[in-house]
Amino acid sequence: MIATIHLIDRLTSWFGRAFAWCIMIMTFGVAFEVFSRYLFNAPTAWAFDLSYMMYGAIFMMGGAYALATNAHVRGDFLYRLWSPKTQGRVELTLYIIFYFPGVLALIFAGWKYAERSIRFTEVSVMSPAGMPIFQFKVLIVAAGVLLFMQGIAQVLRCLWAIRHGEWIGHDEDVEELEDIMLREAAEKGLGPAADRPK
Amino acid sequence: MTDPQIAIMMLAIFILTIFLGFPVAFTLMAVAVIFGYYAYFDADRQWRSYDRAVEKSENATPEMIQAGEVPGMLELTGEWFGGFLNNRIFDLFVNQTYSVMSNDVLTAIPLFLFMGYIVERANIVTRLFDTLYVTAKRLPGAMAVAALATCALFATATGIIGAVVTLMGMLALPSMLRANYDTSFAAGVICAGGCLGILIPPSIMLIVYAATSNVSIVQLYAGALFPGFLLAGLYMVYVVGRAALNPKLAPKPPADETDELTAVDVIVKLITSFFPLAILILAVLGAILFGLATPSEAASLGALGGLLLAIAYRSLTWDRLRESVYLTMKTSAMVCWMFVGSWTFASVFSWLGGEALIEEFVLGLDLTPIQFLIMAQVIIFILGWPLEWSEIIIIFVPIFLPLLPFFEIDPLFFGILIALNLQTSFLTPPMAMAAYYLKGVAPPGVELAQIFKGVMPFLVLILIAMVMVYNFPGIYLWLPNAIYG
Repeated sequence: MIATIHLIDRLTSWFGRAFAWCIMIMTFGVAFEVFSRYLFNAPTAWAFDLSYMMYGAIFMMGGAYALATNAHVRGDFLYRLWSPKTQGRVELTLYIIFYFPGVLALIFAGWKYAERSIRFTEVSVMSPAGMPIFQFKVLIVAAGVLLFMQGIAQVLRCLWAIRHGEWIGHDEDVEELEDIMLREAAEKGLGPAADRPK
Repeated sequence: MTDPQIAIMMLAIFILTIFLGFPVAFTLMAVAVIFGYYAYFDADRQWRSYDRAVEKSENATPEMIQAGEVPGMLELTGEWFGGFLNNRIFDLFVNQTYSVMSNDVLTAIPLFLFMGYIVERANIVTRLFDTLYVTAKRLPGAMAVAALATCALFATATGIIGAVVTLMGMLALPSMLRANYDTSFAAGVICAGGCLGILIPPSIMLIVYAATSNVSIVQLYAGALFPGFLLAGLYMVYVVGRAALNPKLAPKPPADETDELTAVDVIVKLITSFFPLAILILAVLGAILFGLATPSEAASLGALGGLLLAIAYRSLTWDRLRESVYLTMKTSAMVCWMFVGSWTFASVFSWLGGEALIEEFVLGLDLTPIQFLIMAQVIIFILGWPLEWSEIIIIFVPIFLPLLPFFEIDPLFFGILIALNLQTSFLTPPMAMAAYYLKGVAPPGVELAQIFKGVMPFLVLILIAMVMVYNFPGIYLWLPNAIYG
């Protein structure tokens, strides 16, 4: 079970991280547009399309990665007080009722939407460059599939927590600076690690 | 049960699920799809295609069978299943998803986040604090003044509160405690100062509010600038004032080698630490306010500037870049997925008549505009105890927004009040992020109760700032009017 969870984690995180680098393309691309416009008086025809495509790709493809690393917002002030077993039971139920319907809808409806766009190789109408846009719409389906896979891993995590009373973490991860510092402080015996929000 | 009642039930179920601690973005999506399926259910539309196929197979002539034009069992089953997917909620859901993906306001979010993460890792905070300390040395409570200014500047550049509070908690808090500052006083300064980043532009929270409320982000930035300075100014006056009145809170440190620094040394220090960051922020903000660049363009320049700054401070390593890139993705995903769910949820909710029901209810209360305003802000304040700013703005603020025209409240003004108000959500228990972060890195002996005690006066200052903004609209109106007429 642990192997499956980590396999799915690694897969979704790999896709997530690959698309995360879009931020570099976005930074340089959009900044180039500004320089080009003011220094060379030559605004680009593609920068606007580039900016929302990169932004869309970053957050859509990051959904599953964020879920795997527990980065999505949750109002967990009660949740934190429960034992892992209770947490697992509640979460398992909620995953089935309140996770999969939305994600499945995203995959199926997204496919219908993207398929139509692929059929006539849709291009952007936002800018004169006529950048192709159908691949961007396919991201909806791709994001849905990643979320679905991650959902399976999360369900397995819940089952594990119900049975063994402990959560399985993500095996490799980047942390927020404050989390790194909090952990280091806790290791040094400063501030109690227990009473802070995760 | 009538449709509006079902809408209220949908909201109730959703809120219950939040409190169970499930990731909010996905709950929103699923609740919206499930209730939307009911809301847009249309039996005719659903079975149209299946009925046509059945009819065709029943009226089949031998010639048609010969030509293979009659749907077989397999195709009929396919049509039958396909019927379930033939509901407008799915189109709505995908369309809303796509409008989040191609929203030209939200594009600035990953860029500002990236800039923030890079600057956060650029080893800038130590220099900044040292410099501002020697600069402010003659003022009462100099270290607290320097800590507040560092927090404000750094929080403005990064826009994320956690990092600045922990960084300052590791750096400034021990220094202040060594100098025999009062623990509560010192802790309060860091917590309150670290939260200013969500108010002072270019703040990410304001972008999120702009996307929610359709107020122009440029106007919002222009409007929030002076209220932000006002609040920072109030903090500063309070810190200096209290330190002057009660020197025991912030005793003058004994003479040390920094006393011998000449004015030139101080200026050199300022040029290498304070000005680069300040200029970066001003350039980004100026470009937006004077219409030279869109917020996303300015944000990309800011991110580029942040990278250059990090290179100049020799702190840009491969690991740090990688961390910043991945964290940018995680935080963008966290914020933007909530929009995906929230916009679908809102459409379904208002289609079922939930919005009209709330409208009717609130208007039935017969409130004056000021009463409504106070009620709304009190609700947002209370929501800030258990929830985070992103949930409040993306999910709960849209409930209030349609009511604003009835009370003739400017959504710009409402947004600024919320930005002021949400400062408190980081400072009040049980989810006082700032206080917990500080507690987590504070030297032993600093208790949560002391931190909360130190934060109290700042909560009062936030309230004063809100009242001032209400009474003197010029504070938020002057700049947008001066620039855009």
